[in-house]
Amino acid sequence: MINIALPKGRLGEKVYSLLAKMGYACEDYSSDSRKLIFKDSAGKVCYFWVKPSDVGVYVQLGAADIGVIGKDILDEYQPDVYELADLNIGKCAMCVAAKNDWVDDTAMPLRVATKFVNVAEKYFISDGRHIELIKLNGSIELAPVLGISDVIVDIVETGTTLKENDLKVFKKIFDISARLIANKTSCKFKNAEVKALTENIKRAIEENA
Amino acid sequence: MSKNNSEKSVIQSLVSLYKSYGYKLYKPSCFEEYSLYQENKDFLIGKNVIAFSDLSGRLMAMRPDVTLSLIKHSDLKQGELEKYYYDEKVYRQSTGGKEYKEVSQVGAEIIGAVDGASVCEAAILMCETLSSISDDYVLDVSHMDFTEGLLGEFKEGNKEVKECLKSKNLHDFKKLAQKYGYSDKLVKAFEIALEAEGEPKVALKKAEGAVLNEQMKAALNSLSTLCARLESFGYGDKIKVDFSVTNNADYYNGEVFNGYVNGIFHRVLSGGRYDKLIKKLGKVGGAIGFALYLGELDRYFSKEREEVDYLIIYDNFCEDSALKAANEKIKAGYSVRISNRDDGAVRYKNLINLADGESKND
Repeated sequence: MINIALPKGRLGEKVYSLLAKMGYACEDYSSDSRKLIFKDSAGKVCYFWVKPSDVGVYVQLGAADIGVIGKDILDEYQPDVYELADLNIGKCAMCVAAKNDWVDDTAMPLRVATKFVNVAEKYFISDGRHIELIKLNGSIELAPVLGISDVIVDIVETGTTLKENDLKVFKKIFDISARLIANKTSCKFKNAEVKALTENIKRAIEENA
Repeated sequence: MSKNNSEKSVIQSLVSLYKSYGYKLYKPSCFEEYSLYQENKDFLIGKNVIAFSDLSGRLMAMRPDVTLSLIKHSDLKQGELEKYYYDEKVYRQSTGGKEYKEVSQVGAEIIGAVDGASVCEAAILMCETLSSISDDYVLDVSHMDFTEGLLGEFKEGNKEVKECLKSKNLHDFKKLAQKYGYSDKLVKAFEIALEAEGEPKVALKKAEGAVLNEQMKAALNSLSTLCARLESFGYGDKIKVDFSVTNNADYYNGEVFNGYVNGIFHRVLSGGRYDKLIKKLGKVGGAIGFALYLGELDRYFSKEREEVDYLIIYDNFCEDSALKAANEKIKAGYSVRISNRDDGAVRYKNLINLADGESKND
């Protein structure tokens, strides 16, 4: 049996539909149910619904053999896993954004508000910029509007939220999409199953592209 | 089937194993000068060590690793060779946590005039070490000269390419290839290096297609010799080639290894040849060694350990009968627990309820 950790929400549901079409369906699957684990009667596959930011943990610790995770979360937490495929869905970008009229004052440390502290730190260190990090858990766009930060590092999909708050993207750090990851031990002992699923999903993604 | 059923019994059997191969016990001090770890922090698994000032004001550390101490205090002359094993506690930051923890570590090192036989013996010991936990194990092998020889061909984005190799990430590598304009030959070599995994003969044959320089070619020859030897000693089905196994090139050279056991979802053993560390610490010769990460093993064995063959329930009227029945079963080689009730404290395979004269299998 192959255990798959899917992120709760639209992305997880989309990936489930894709996998179901490939022959990895569960009869009792329901996105509305409060049930968190679904197994198929043939004992081929088992799905877990987990919080998107926890997918890497479940896969690294072996509760799931494979998982689907955004590149943003993968770069932030860097779990010790194999990254086997780019699913080319859930696309957006990690960006540095600020108020439309923002000008960098290099005489002062840059105040950066973000949920992705590791990503932000790595980016600004490579840029040689001295920063002060402000860790927030949501509504990051508020920080520069209310003056507690100069910039934010956050995910931008359409840019509508930024626009509505008089903010704009100043720099794209990297592109984000959903990735298929695998536990390293599972790749040794369930090699054929993991490889077959990876090849099937890559083919399905190419056909859908 | 496991030959051992606890972390303690694994350690005991490994000590016997290493002694039977003529390895000497190495017993380091619990403390080392902090500078040893600070100057070689990339050799360590965790970067944080517990530091303190001793009575004369020297900055000391609780050792986070045994290998560095062993090399620092070795006094081998050119051409000499020594073999050591250790069974020690090390002090590290807990994974993902904010506190330090004491971890048991068992390992073996060959230092000095290391040759092909030493490398093969170390690999055999790695297999036997994994086998002391379970026969269902895999020892991944790679060669630093192959991976570094390949990575050295990438003039730009070298670090990012290494990350892609380590995580078997072909899709992001292709993006790097576009960004930096890598040649088709280079892209193909990387793809082959990722695909060339698994059974040694097949994987090494495939890997020939990735060879771009003499360094990579020599590494493949060396790996072929090692894998053929291991196969002849009966370890052929346990060895897998995997070029995503790589390590810090400032310390490691030659063969590198990672060990996995089915049912433990992280690497349990890592090893490799580290001649560069020997030179860095001003010593002569080379070295190869490995360490087994303990700590999680008790959890792995816990299912077996918590289970007894028989649970015998008794009451005030049949205490002697219970003791007698237990004694007979224990002498016959079974594990037995007697109790005046089934309180769920232990899992059992069979239940004998003398209190109401019943016996049933669970």
